[in-house]
Amino acid sequence: MLIVVPKDLEVRVRDIARTILRAPFTKRTWSELLYIVVGVPMAAVGLAFVGVTMSAGLGLAITFIGLAVIGLSLRGSRGLGGWHRGIARSLLGEQILDPDPFAPRPGFLGWLQSVLRDRTAWRAVAYLLIKGPLAFIGIVTALSVWYDAFACLTFPFQNASRPAEFGLVRLFSGPGFLSLGSGGFFHSLAIFVTGGLLLFVAPWVGRAVVNVDRIVMRALLAPDAMDLRVRSLERARAQTLDASAATLRQIERDLHDGTQAQLVALAMRLGMAKEKLSAVDDPDLATVRDLVDEAHRGAKEAIVELRDIARGIHPPALDIGLEGALATLAARNTVPTELTLSLHDRPTPAIEAIAYFCVAELLANVAQHANASRASISCAQHGRWLRLVVRDDGTGGAQPSRLGSSSSGLAGLSDRVRAVDGRFDIVSPLHGPTVVTVDLPMQT
Amino acid sequence: MGGPLRVVIAEDSAILRDGLVQLLLDRGFVITDAVSNPDALRASVDRECPDVAVVDIRMPPTFTDEGLRAAIDLRRLHRRLGILLFSQYIETRYAAELLADDAAGIGYLLKDRVADVSDFVEALERVASGGTALDPEVVTQLFGASRRGDSISVLSARERDVLSLMAEGRSNAAIASGLVISEGAVEKHVANIFSKFDLPVTQSDHRRVLAVLRFLDS
Repeated sequence: MLIVVPKDLEVRVRDIARTILRAPFTKRTWSELLYIVVGVPMAAVGLAFVGVTMSAGLGLAITFIGLAVIGLSLRGSRGLGGWHRGIARSLLGEQILDPDPFAPRPGFLGWLQSVLRDRTAWRAVAYLLIKGPLAFIGIVTALSVWYDAFACLTFPFQNASRPAEFGLVRLFSGPGFLSLGSGGFFHSLAIFVTGGLLLFVAPWVGRAVVNVDRIVMRALLAPDAMDLRVRSLERARAQTLDASAATLRQIERDLHDGTQAQLVALAMRLGMAKEKLSAVDDPDLATVRDLVDEAHRGAKEAIVELRDIARGIHPPALDIGLEGALATLAARNTVPTELTLSLHDRPTPAIEAIAYFCVAELLANVAQHANASRASISCAQHGRWLRLVVRDDGTGGAQPSRLGSSSSGLAGLSDRVRAVDGRFDIVSPLHGPTVVTVDLPMQT
Repeated sequence: MGGPLRVVIAEDSAILRDGLVQLLLDRGFVITDAVSNPDALRASVDRECPDVAVVDIRMPPTFTDEGLRAAIDLRRLHRRLGILLFSQYIETRYAAELLADDAAGIGYLLKDRVADVSDFVEALERVASGGTALDPEVVTQLFGASRRGDSISVLSARERDVLSLMAEGRSNAAIASGLVISEGAVEKHVANIFSKFDLPVTQSDHRRVLAVLRFLDS
């Protein structure tokens, strides 16, 4: 330990020293400097645009045209914001997410309403207003350090008595420091050394300037937390709609292929039996009996299929509560299943349905794929959350994608869980055990 | 056409396929094949050259309109093959596509119609002999969807009944027995309908179906 720590320290010191020594010569430093330089005309354009259009718009605001001008100003600012974002991306490698594209409602009034409410555009206006002074201060700060560095480094080779025209140095040092022993060898050497130091300081000043810009940019040009939340909710809503459309399609398919076909076949057999019976002279009673027998069997099968389909839409067991419904599921499972419940409140019906279908699907998977000898369900309330844990001692290796191929399977359920801000988590190492944890809010 | 009619059945539901086979055998048809998908149907028709095919519209692999596509293909290759399409739903668009060139030997029925065995068998025989069998539901939908709804209102109630049965593809004799009127009365109603719609009178049953449907669909 006594040896390791200094060595570690030595390595770190060497790294820092190397970083400092290399800084003036890295691509990053010069990209940042270029960004600072390019930023000035861009900031000027942005500031001028916002200044002119917004003041024109506000001046005319009493009329309808004023609102339209502000609208155009916002649209332009949004575009300029995107331009700044693009430059930052290519020169600084700053990965700022693009906000959602502007999607106006149809019609001019719809456009105006959308554009005036476009938070992204208003934030871009704020950025352009801040970027103006920021770019100016930034370039003065960064360039004067570089200028000083080069002026000091070249001073000994120039024909001047003192570095009077230097940028920042002149502001801070006055005649005292650098004009000490004016004109002599040591004076020149001191200025040269100062220049050398400034050369290694300048990159960090530039970086600091750029970092301030980055912070402002992240705050104003990136989609903000609310945008991101809206985006994730929109995605969840789309998934829910898709999942419910897929569920309806599945129900239609089940009815079409199962019950409807059964009933058509049933009607067909009864039709045949009817015609045979009405053959007055010689009713073929043996065949009629067979036909009625088949029709009878078909009717019973149709009843069972219909019951299964109905249960798939809404399990009647849920009407008496999640506890009872889960108990039925556990009892019906072919693998011995233990159920632990600790619920103080009743979750909302939507949550109960999701919880029920998750457990039903998971238990079906355990029975079909897991080769398990035991399973357990735990359903517990933790404050405003409901935690379901389904565990089995099977062979493991389950993956969400393999568990449910269609959206009515487990993949669809995990979409539904996420749609209500829940979590769906599978831990299934090879050779088991498999533990699936589902967290759901008690209320939707 | 001598001997019993030779029928191929394409239906993916095993229950219905078996039921249809049983029903048609019982009625003295020869079943050349009973298949469950459109490819098997194409192969079977090429091999056996049946008189008529009973085809489920919704079959694998996508369960949308495979049967209809197969039927349209088969019509192109086997001009004399009668095709009775069979479905749980009536889609007017499918009917329009089927009837696009020629209604001869084409039928489109709801699956429910097999419950009335005699009517179903009659429709199948009509299709096999180059006639037309459209489900009353198709006719109703075409009436409903027609932009000429007001033209239909110029018909008397009796004429409308005759028009419906005619559009289903029935002959004058069948219409007469269905409505319990004389064949002469049916002929008179048909002539009135054609003159009210300003259509040229044609003799063959399926041509007049086509004329009526084109009129309603236009």
